[in-house]
Amino acid sequence: MSAVLLDVRPHSRLRGDRAVDLNAAVLPVLDAVTASDVDLSRVRVVADWVQYRDSFRGVVQSRRIGHATPDTGGPPPPEPLGVREDDLEIAVDLRRSGSVEAGELHRLTAAALTAADDDVPLEDWGPGSRSCVWDFNALYWSALELWEKSTGRGYEQALPGGESDARNAEAARELILELFGMWDRLAAAQALPDELYVLEIGVGNGGQAKVFLDEFARLDQERGSEYYSRLHYLMCDYSAHVLELARDAVAEHAEQVSSFTLDATRPCTALGFLEYKIFLVYVSNVYDNLPTDEVAHLGGRTYQVEIRANFASAEAAELAASVGIGIDRLPGIVHRLLRLGPSLLADAMPDLFPDTGTAVEFWRRAWAAVRLDERYVPLAGLDTYDLGGETDLGGELLRPLLESGADVRMHVNNGALQSFVDSLRLLHPYGRLVCHDLFVTEIEGYRTHFRGPGKYDGSVVNWVNGPLLAHVGRRRGFDVRYERFRHRAGGGNIVTMTAQARD
Amino acid sequence: MAVLRTSVVGSYPVPDWMERLKTEYCRGRMSRAQLLDVHETAIKAALRDQELAGIDIVSDGELRRDNDLDYLLARISGMEIPRTTKDFYFDYYDVRVGAPLPAPSASTSLGLADDFVFTSERTDRPVKFSFTGPFSLARHVRNDAYPDRRGLVLAIARQLGAEAHTLVARGATHLQIDEPFLAGYPDEVGLAVEAINVVTAGVSAEWGLHVCYGNRYARPSWEGHYDFLFPAVLEASVDHLVLEFARKGLDDLPIVAEQGWDRGVGLGVIDVKSRRVESPEQVAGRIRRALELFPAERLMVNPDCGLRHLPGPIARAKLHAMVAGARLVREELVGLPAAPAGLRPVPESGTDHGPPVTAAAVTSEKPRPSTEET
Repeated sequence: MSAVLLDVRPHSRLRGDRAVDLNAAVLPVLDAVTASDVDLSRVRVVADWVQYRDSFRGVVQSRRIGHATPDTGGPPPPEPLGVREDDLEIAVDLRRSGSVEAGELHRLTAAALTAADDDVPLEDWGPGSRSCVWDFNALYWSALELWEKSTGRGYEQALPGGESDARNAEAARELILELFGMWDRLAAAQALPDELYVLEIGVGNGGQAKVFLDEFARLDQERGSEYYSRLHYLMCDYSAHVLELARDAVAEHAEQVSSFTLDATRPCTALGFLEYKIFLVYVSNVYDNLPTDEVAHLGGRTYQVEIRANFASAEAAELAASVGIGIDRLPGIVHRLLRLGPSLLADAMPDLFPDTGTAVEFWRRAWAAVRLDERYVPLAGLDTYDLGGETDLGGELLRPLLESGADVRMHVNNGALQSFVDSLRLLHPYGRLVCHDLFVTEIEGYRTHFRGPGKYDGSVVNWVNGPLLAHVGRRRGFDVRYERFRHRAGGGNIVTMTAQARD
Repeated sequence: MAVLRTSVVGSYPVPDWMERLKTEYCRGRMSRAQLLDVHETAIKAALRDQELAGIDIVSDGELRRDNDLDYLLARISGMEIPRTTKDFYFDYYDVRVGAPLPAPSASTSLGLADDFVFTSERTDRPVKFSFTGPFSLARHVRNDAYPDRRGLVLAIARQLGAEAHTLVARGATHLQIDEPFLAGYPDEVGLAVEAINVVTAGVSAEWGLHVCYGNRYARPSWEGHYDFLFPAVLEASVDHLVLEFARKGLDDLPIVAEQGWDRGVGLGVIDVKSRRVESPEQVAGRIRRALELFPAERLMVNPDCGLRHLPGPIARAKLHAMVAGARLVREELVGLPAAPAGLRPVPESGTDHGPPVTAAAVTSEKPRPSTEET
């Protein structure tokens, strides 16, 4: 008989003084599994460390593994040979399970196995990128001012380290001097255009833009190169609120700066006229915050991870009671909130939300309560998987990352990929894209650590699949390099990605 | 003689399935014989596509080649490639030359003539055979053999020249040298032309020289204007300059005319970096503008560059549009009423060469417009 497959991710917290007690954290789960009537030869138990303080997961979560491939028309595709046909995956969060009393952990596992469905779903099953959690995410950025007012802290304080790495003057100086060197060479060859474009996507409150422009002006003056007067710095952000802050931050450079409210996934919609003209595209802490699907290769078969946002029944009851409605009305009210935002919701439903503050409070509580159910749905073939958007990104792009055949679950980062590909179109032949973010730089990194999604303040965060972006970039003639962000004391998780056309 | 002949620049789309197979080969997972069969099957399909579109002078689509450099460099005796495995077929080899290249001989043949013969035996149309020129090939080679780059460039030129002789001996009539790197090194056009003349010396063929702003991975590698080619390129022993105009606009065309280019021009009328399919009217408009500067018998109609990076259906549609646009202008030139472009059916057979027109009948009698007028 095949064995239960137990996959304990090799997180650093399995060792050392603060090591998690694996027996306490996992054995009650295994006890509950063996005590149930599930076919033990078709169960996998995955234990990993969910590093986010706030996440969408329970301590124990079950994920059904489907067998029937979706009907894509035509004859059914051939079944892969030699696959391990599991029915169920039990996921354990080691960060929390070790501190749960054994009996309770056993009970939580048993409940997950029975799949008693008294949770309150907010949507149907679907790919991760289409979940309503991205509507929550979008609402956070569009109504950021209200959220910040309610929490009493600015969004940047929610970032790891309390500020964006984009503000680092040393990093900016290095980048600017490289730009100057390249422009000098182009000028010598009489190939430097009159207008020198730099684009920042996700400009936030303008901290990076200010550092960049201050340094740029100073260095240009030192060198006497007269590039500053030819510079067009384009600031783009999804949030009109932070864009306004950014404009204030760079007011002294106003003649060099233009600002756009822009969907980061599609910069070409507004900036297509700058195709092949931009010398630097700068992106900081944006890709980890864009919609993503996940795919998994388990036991020799490829799956799409489908998710469904929901409230656990107890939390749903509490949330509904907080505004005096029945649970059955809760999904409708939440979707109305996501459509209208808190201010208009208060206008539309004054009986439930007498003022905007009450609506914001409801929003924050709803966000804190949102969980994601997950299941695995077999893919009929990589060609049937559309990475989405208006790009030509097809599922076959994933093949090199999955072809080893080893088990892996990874992000597709659909929004980041679209943004990346669209941005590459804008780059001058000598241009480059520089991005600071949470990158997984080797596929192996997906086998060792949980990489999201998690919650940062009111937004969603996922690590970004670096090998996938590198492959896509490479296929478009770009060398894509990753290195740990060099300008922060103590390192941290931030990685710098640089994409530059191959010579 | 048909005027406004249509042709392709060289490369043709590589379908996804073929990419996979080529990559399998580059990783050592497929045999050379299997790869050869894949290539030959794809070439036959590409020929058929071009014939159906009505292209006058067809090519093998360079489908045997991984990219613009490797196929040729790997065949030049004396080139050292330490790692012949690739992660993906479109990656480039690292290439070094450690000792002067051997003098061309039967034993150093690149084998391109066999490729040409395979193609020409499978179509009744004239075949254009193109290869990357010595200047661009040398840019990718680490030179540890010659005191300067010129030595390497000319050595490669001698190899290609010998190959050109063999190609013509085996029946080739239309040869083209591609110099995709030249626009990045405008100061070195003189060297490139010197090398081109080594390649073409004594080779009796209709020679084209293709210079664009790069099309690696469907992106331009450089930006600029064609004035960098002049006056050096006037010394090149070639019959046509095959240039990129559709993407960049025709503003550079007067440069070519004003600088005294007195031979043929391969007019790029199809933007190979865009997936938007041009209309026949759009193509015709571009040709009409060129006719203000060059007589019809000196114009060849072609895409800006190779079609490699376009999806097959889009590439085919663009070729159809190009042929239909050229036909519209041909009909105007001989005084035939032109059918509305949108009503004209896409050619179904390979017989659509347009009506034969004598050169004398279409030579522009109009005075050449001044720069201001253009």
